[in-house]
Amino acid sequence: MSRKDAVVALVLLTILAAAPYLLGGSYLLDLGVLTFLFISQAIAWNVLGGYAGQISFGYAAFFGIGAYTTGYLWLHGWEPLLTLPIGAALAALFSLIVGLPAFRLTGPYFVIATLAVGLAMRVVALNTEAITGGASGLNLPTQVPGKAWFYYSMLILMSGCFLISALVRRSRFGMALTALRLDQAAAASLGVNVALYKNLAHTLGAVLVAVGGGIYAVYFQYIHPDQVFGFEISIGMVLMPVIGGLGTLWGPVLGGMLYYAIADTLLTVFPFAHLLVYGLLLMIIMLIEPRGLLGFARLVPSRFVMPRRARHPYPLAPDSSVPSE
Amino acid sequence: MLVSAILTAGLYVVMSYGLALIYGVMRLINLSHAGTMMLGAFIALTLNRAFHLDPILGSLIVLPLFFGFGVVLYALVVRRIARSAPIVSLLLLFGLWLVLQNVAYLIWGNEDQSIVTPYTYLSLRVGFLSLAVTRLIVFAAGLAALAVLAWFMSSTYTGKAIRAVSLNYEASRLAGINVERISALAFGLGTGLAAFAGSLLTLLFSFTPDFGGVFQTKAFAVIVLGGLTSFVGVAVGSLLLALVESFGVLFIRASLQNLIAFGLLFVALVFMPGGVTSLFLSRRGGRG
Repeated sequence: MSRKDAVVALVLLTILAAAPYLLGGSYLLDLGVLTFLFISQAIAWNVLGGYAGQISFGYAAFFGIGAYTTGYLWLHGWEPLLTLPIGAALAALFSLIVGLPAFRLTGPYFVIATLAVGLAMRVVALNTEAITGGASGLNLPTQVPGKAWFYYSMLILMSGCFLISALVRRSRFGMALTALRLDQAAAASLGVNVALYKNLAHTLGAVLVAVGGGIYAVYFQYIHPDQVFGFEISIGMVLMPVIGGLGTLWGPVLGGMLYYAIADTLLTVFPFAHLLVYGLLLMIIMLIEPRGLLGFARLVPSRFVMPRRARHPYPLAPDSSVPSE
Repeated sequence: MLVSAILTAGLYVVMSYGLALIYGVMRLINLSHAGTMMLGAFIALTLNRAFHLDPILGSLIVLPLFFGFGVVLYALVVRRIARSAPIVSLLLLFGLWLVLQNVAYLIWGNEDQSIVTPYTYLSLRVGFLSLAVTRLIVFAAGLAALAVLAWFMSSTYTGKAIRAVSLNYEASRLAGINVERISALAFGLGTGLAAFAGSLLTLLFSFTPDFGGVFQTKAFAVIVLGGLTSFVGVAVGSLLLALVESFGVLFIRASLQNLIAFGLLFVALVFMPGGVTSLFLSRRGGRG
């Protein structure tokens, strides 16, 4: 995180922390809770998907694990806040169950495995009524703190995710992830333990997403497999960083803000086909500028200001490589 | 039960081979596979509604139609990203899946659809076995398609070129194969087969625009089991999945049956990443 990034982040944080006092209104609080949740998920996904270039379509599994752990333990008399680390630990464990076999291999195995896991977890949750309430969902206790509490806890979660993502980016760990994204064989030959770092990034993302899932469960007081394990959660986590700017620090933040705002409008206009717009957007971004909105933004002034060489803040791969095994 | 597993396997082969073909030639994971299958099913439905066309005949129209669709798609879109980082092609094809799925929602709505033919509820008695006619037809159609495909792959220049490109892209290019054209053909063929499988599935299952996700996962499980690219591997993988699924029903709830494919996928990832065929090869001392 450069000094400029840190200043911008602090200013934004101050504004967001002061906003409820200055503007008030429960709509703002609701909007804040969900937007912060979406952004924190986007940042968490971006560590593995953006920095390391490993696409996962299965992060809803961790969101659901977080939500259901909190829900289940809360119903059994636990303090909701104390259940968050448990949910995170379970999600970490689960991320390793998926990651250890899949990352052992090079090739498309991880993507395939995450798609399968994402779908499978929903089916599992629907069929384990004893824990998850099955298809009728889980009603949770109704004594919860006020909306402001959720606003600030999501804000803290989002800031925490942002800070972690910024620190990772500058660390040895982050550089290893970038190296293996650019050229896995070269990174491995320089002594980067590719499988280890991929697993670490995967687990880190899982933990952050699970904590968000836990707070979400307390906020809504009702969870259902189709909702917290739904494929749409996974799709959202892919779309936000990609729209904003894959692998960048601010991309997921920007993408998360836009995603929630657009998703809300689209859902009311096209109840069924709202994902059509995202599908098209995804295709257009990939065809024209795979680095998302931040990539587009950098294209414009660069013609005039920056030298051409400096135009690639996020190379996706070394020069057009021929596919090989 | 064994017979029914074999019948299912025939369907799985058709469903999965398109995926293996595209991966083999282009090293692309075609995430729009499910979308294509679903669209194939809906085109068969529309043909059936409009012209009372039998889905079997419908599938014969769907196959060339989607072959063309695949080739056009390749020329317009996929060609541009085929050489970029895997992340780009994955996300692009995933976007395509979302587009196809939601276009189908717009056109056909989200109700369950099904095609009922005069022979939907008929069954055939062979000795003590009772087999649904639809399953036999689907199996026969799948087998016929595969026979044609096997002939095409082993006896024509284009088929041999496709196999050569899957073995080694660079060497094929050096040997004078027009890899660009082969890639377009492979993408078209893979898309056509997916839609063909989709329209055959209409005889057996009801479907919505959401349909395909489970079958796509099954197809992935099959090609991972089969070692991703080989024709024989796909056949063995399909048979294995179908067998485990039909015998699995004895032990687990029917609603969990779709999980068997996921379970098998993980077993394959942990124990035999090269696919089932690699086990035979390594035992014979061949290359794995």
